Amino acid sequence: MYQVNPQENDKTLAHELLSKETQTHIDIWLAKYPQDQRRSAVIGALHAAQEQNGGWLSQEIMQAVAQYLEIPAIWVYEAASFYSMFFTEPCGQHKVSICTNISCMLNGAEQIVEHAEQKLGIKLGETTEDGRITLVREEECVAACVGAPVMLIDGHYHENLTNDKIDALLNGLEEKA
Amino acid sequence: MTGKENKQATLPDNMVEIEIDDKAMVVPKGSMVIEAADNNGISIPRFCYHKKLSIAANCRMCMVDVEKVPKPLPACATPVMAGMKVYTKSKRAIDAQKNVMEFLLINHPLDCPICDQGGECELQDVSMGYGRGISRYVDEKRVAVDEDIGSLIATDMTRCITCTRCVRFLDEITGTDELGSIGRGDRTQIGTAVGRSIDSIMSGNIIDLCPVGALTNKPFRFKARAWELMSAEGISMHDAIGSNLYYHTRHGKVLRTVPKDNEELNEAWISDRDRYGVLGQDSDDRVTVPMIKQDGKWVDTDWATAMDFAVRKLQANQAKDTAVLAGSQSTNEEYFLLNKLFKALGCENMDYRLGQTDFSAVHSLPRMDLSLDDIANQNQIVLVGSNVAHEQAILGHRVRQAWLKNQAKVSVFNPKQYNFNFNTFHHYVGTQVDWVKGLGSLAHCVADLVQEKLDDTDTTRWIASQDTDENLNNLAKQLIDKENNVMFVIGQVSNRHPQASLIKSVVAWLASHTNGKVYEMATGANSVGAEICGMSSQNNVTDILDSNAKSFVVYQAENDDFADAYKAHSVLDSADSVVLMSSFADENMKQVADVILPIGLASEVAGSYFNNFAQSQSFSPAAKLPEESKPGWRVLRVLANMLNVDDFYYDSIEEVTEAVNHVKVHPGHITLETMFKDIKSSGLVLFNETAIYDVDMLTRRSQPLQDTVHASTDNLNINSIEATKLNLENAMSVTVKQGDVEVDLFVNIDDNLPDGSVHVHKCVGFNSHDLNVEIVIGQDMGEAS
Repeated sequence: MYQVNPQENDKTLAHELLSKETQTHIDIWLAKYPQDQRRSAVIGALHAAQEQNGGWLSQEIMQAVAQYLEIPAIWVYEAASFYSMFFTEPCGQHKVSICTNISCMLNGAEQIVEHAEQKLGIKLGETTEDGRITLVREEECVAACVGAPVMLIDGHYHENLTNDKIDALLNGLEEKA
Repeated sequence: MTGKENKQATLPDNMVEIEIDDKAMVVPKGSMVIEAADNNGISIPRFCYHKKLSIAANCRMCMVDVEKVPKPLPACATPVMAGMKVYTKSKRAIDAQKNVMEFLLINHPLDCPICDQGGECELQDVSMGYGRGISRYVDEKRVAVDEDIGSLIATDMTRCITCTRCVRFLDEITGTDELGSIGRGDRTQIGTAVGRSIDSIMSGNIIDLCPVGALTNKPFRFKARAWELMSAEGISMHDAIGSNLYYHTRHGKVLRTVPKDNEELNEAWISDRDRYGVLGQDSDDRVTVPMIKQDGKWVDTDWATAMDFAVRKLQANQAKDTAVLAGSQSTNEEYFLLNKLFKALGCENMDYRLGQTDFSAVHSLPRMDLSLDDIANQNQIVLVGSNVAHEQAILGHRVRQAWLKNQAKVSVFNPKQYNFNFNTFHHYVGTQVDWVKGLGSLAHCVADLVQEKLDDTDTTRWIASQDTDENLNNLAKQLIDKENNVMFVIGQVSNRHPQASLIKSVVAWLASHTNGKVYEMATGANSVGAEICGMSSQNNVTDILDSNAKSFVVYQAENDDFADAYKAHSVLDSADSVVLMSSFADENMKQVADVILPIGLASEVAGSYFNNFAQSQSFSPAAKLPEESKPGWRVLRVLANMLNVDDFYYDSIEEVTEAVNHVKVHPGHITLETMFKDIKSSGLVLFNETAIYDVDMLTRRSQPLQDTVHASTDNLNINSIEATKLNLENAMSVTVKQGDVEVDLFVNIDDNLPDGSVHVHKCVGFNSHDLNVEIVIGQDMGEAS
């Protein structure tokens, strides 16, 4: 069991970088857990911070989240680097994650990945030059094996993928204003 | 023979009987299989398990076979159950262990020949027992980028097997949370949050915890192989806990220090100061041959000439005009002989309390009402003038454990808001004048609550003159609660305070009215030994420096050890003669001394230290004395013979130790009737702090320690409110004056300081007696940088 240790009482960065909206969102998550388990609010907080920061988490904003939650910066960094839904480097407007876990792989996920890479001219983990699309590196099972192969576009599920389907989906991803 | 039922019936409720490898044993309920095995001499391989850390069960190396369980279980995370039968050497257990070993070695580089851990590596040892001769792995190995985590610890993270011992240590023991597991799955790496250094003052322990060569001792890097080293037991030279340690030497030179387990004192840890402090031994100003000053020039000479010279210098003045000033890290034996010799000559000017400023109370050993283990049972702890972990790292650790395990409430009275690794219940921060008054207010609140009249002594009358305060009243109520175990820690900030006697007597008064225990910290590794051996004479160091002493003997001490370094220097400079017996002589000491007799450090001589609890711990020499240096006790003995002092026929150190053991030890006490001085300060009040790595000659010279963030600075620290009043900005160059001393410092705005206060490190040269300083804003600001 981890220990929640005293943190420096400095919240300058948190108040500087996190918008009112983000702070309110984090407060909702903080209210769900006991004080000594406030670490649990980190995922909700990171979602809010990522949303605010244009889809990715900078070092500074992670530091700000840590300050706001009064937990060590390393805990925030650990969570952000663990989950494929968090991005610690700038990324495209749309995040496309193709599941490559076992059910999808047996149903041709590798070929799907290849097709998507070819079409966009980028490798997994990279972003198109126009900054429109990021192919998320190594998405693990998203619990939709029944529709394998599966991909997620900005958190929405698309099942039973074929090359044509992918073309249509990717072409349909508009550049955000 | 009793029947099995009978045996079962006689088992205490909290114990169960189990069998490991057909060996029956009775073990505590709720303990883990691996503990039972360890305590009964059965070895189970492991990497992530450590008896002092929480259980992670992530290396999976300790797989064992448990009867009636269909698959192997990790011994570190499997609690014992009555009647459990465990097999650690069955085919299933060994197969599981071998398979885990193969996985652990998949990404591990084959760089043992260039790895510092080679020869003392748990991974290497276990893979000898459980590894395959040839790897079956053909794919690319993972590599990790190394981070620079500071001057003490080297990283080779490609070697890491992510056991997370270091992560858990920094979370649970030091509470600094500097390392974590970054990433996921096979690409998980141990790292910091974005290129930070590891700044815990006990960080070096993660080197010992690391079972592979990922975290190694940076100053020791590529210096020697484990099998070339000799190990010798030693005692910490930097604080009075008396942490037990091993010096590892090659060709008679200490190359590194590691802890020696001692549950009573340092458990399994040592502070970074104890680990790296000894590296100061190789400093450029180490003296290794006897030297005399001729016509203002230093000349190397032989011992006979130097001793003759020293004797002539000592005989030139009467003993009553001679003064002996000693540091606080010499051995008991040296203090004993030093005292015996000069007492016999009739000298009444001896002191070791060079950094102390207030001598108004009758001095005794530090008062110590409890052992380190007792601290775990305290639930109200009051730190009085103490940055506890920087003063005695192990005490800081014990206070944190009391906070963690016993929910102890820790209150603090300090001249600066320190960042502690425990929460504080009441944090009173005021200037060097104000925080003492705060302590007085607390005592006044307690007096009101217990309806005690405050008119019998000077101290109580002083307490009565302090205001009461509602917040402090809350703390006072907690302290007088009979349910609470109360402990007061008198720290080194108090010891060096110009009102030290008042502070101590107020604490003693508080303790007697709250049923509290007092832990009075000693300043210096063996100041307790010096006290026991009689090194504090009638005339204290302040008297001596104010007197007309003509001839001085300075023993293992230097300018920076004195509360008023400037004055000490000028007094020594104008003295008739100064005999310096020391391991080091910097330019300042060379300027004032007439003869230098090079003597050994505690790591190079045999002897003993008394720790804060007045326990004597002895040690043998770990390292060879460099060149012509001699053990201090031998030099003193010969000096005594040359000065014709009787009864000085010690042939061996054991005879001196024996004599020390016969010295009567009077337990420490604090008198309630103290004469104290009122201190005055106009304007900003100075807090002249001795930094953690400036405590003695060795730590000042240990470069790895001086390269950490805790090293002293030439900053003038001030909070933003006071800075604004004086138009000071960060990094601005200012001249700061105190009496005749003028120093150029850089402004550093630090809001941990209270209003009305300025803070400097003592090494910049100010006098600790005086709380006044004057700040002059620099003239040529453009050029200053």
